[in-house]
Amino acid sequence: MNRTARNIAVSLALVVLQTTIVRMLSLEGIVPDLLIIWVVYIALTEGQLHGTVWGFCIGLCADILSGSFLGLSAMTKTVSGFVGGYFFNDNKTQLTLGTYRFLLIVLSVSFLHNLLYFIIFTQGSEIRFWEVVFKFGITTTLYTATVCVIPMFAFSRRLSL
Amino acid sequence: MQRLFNIVRAFKEYVVLALLTILSLILLSLNDNSQIRTIRAYTVGFVGLLQSATSVIPNVFALERENTLLREQNVSLTDEVSRLREAKLENDRLRAMLGLKEHGSFHLVVADVVGKTLDLLRNTITLDAGENEGVKANMPIVSESGLVGRVIATSKGYAVGQLMMNKEFRSSAKVQRSRVLGILAWNGGEYLELRNVAKTQDVAVGDVVMTSEYSNAFPPNLRIGIVVDVTEHEGGLFKQIRVKPSVDLATVEHVFIVTAVPQPERGRLETGTSR
Repeated sequence: MNRTARNIAVSLALVVLQTTIVRMLSLEGIVPDLLIIWVVYIALTEGQLHGTVWGFCIGLCADILSGSFLGLSAMTKTVSGFVGGYFFNDNKTQLTLGTYRFLLIVLSVSFLHNLLYFIIFTQGSEIRFWEVVFKFGITTTLYTATVCVIPMFAFSRRLSL
Repeated sequence: MQRLFNIVRAFKEYVVLALLTILSLILLSLNDNSQIRTIRAYTVGFVGLLQSATSVIPNVFALERENTLLREQNVSLTDEVSRLREAKLENDRLRAMLGLKEHGSFHLVVADVVGKTLDLLRNTITLDAGENEGVKANMPIVSESGLVGRVIATSKGYAVGQLMMNKEFRSSAKVQRSRVLGILAWNGGEYLELRNVAKTQDVAVGDVVMTSEYSNAFPPNLRIGIVVDVTEHEGGLFKQIRVKPSVDLATVEHVFIVTAVPQPERGRLETGTSR
């Protein structure tokens, strides 16, 4: 299976997961963002260009599937893929994925993603921006980073073999 | 072209980011919710700010086009102002005439001046009202400012009026303040003359001259003009009094003809007695 086909399959699976099963992991309305982890993974393994393009495609799929605010996730995940791509290093990919670096990158990219998301999402509404960022943005980021520990350990184990 | 292609290739990540962000924004703009409306409002404000900031930079072609348009507009507006001013003046004149017609005790026929001679000793005006309107010879012609002259000839639709500034014009007149009587006439020149006023009689510059009750040709108390000069020649019996007409005979355009000849009985009696 070539890489593009694999990416498409995993992306679609994750989009479906994110909009269905992951909702069951909700803690006080907060859910981890698996798609961000996946976009960062693509950016770290394939580079900035791929991260950007895949970020757009995955975000667009999520928008279409969620049926609300078409283009918002597409834009925020495009930017996330682009920023994640800054940490791409072909020689140290496995090292990055298998250590706390992956965690930190996901943490920072996820925070940026949520910040951008809520800047647009809270426009013209009664919801206060910073309240939403603290209540949902940071908690979602932390929850996502926590979930990211699982793939990090998986890559770490692969690295140690 | 190749160079441009190389630049795009060198910055392909940024180009792709920009393109995908624009695409996302286009998709975002398709939504019609409060967030997008607010962002649109911000965008319009931002674009407006940019436009106002760049508007100080002159666009030569736009300026030329604007200049041409403004010139055309200026010509059009000047024409309109001229017409409005003319309409206002006409309105003022007609209002004054209407006032005279409503408050005067005479039966008046309105007429427009359609012809005029002012450079002769026998100056006349032609009016567009005639026998069809009941106009007859010897009827006084007045305007809202005062006496103009009298009708000397008529046809079905027109009348010819003899102006006060006519060598043959005569009228009995009085000074409003001192009730001094005299004969009004014109001997060429800018002003009328009030003749037969003795040196002992009280006439001063600024006095208003009006038609008198002794006149059988004109109704009494019609304003004629203002005394502008009083001279006494040595050896003479009378004052030389110059009167500026109240009506500007050079510019008068609308007049009234007093259709009732005053005191016909008196005229007949005076004519009969004098035979």
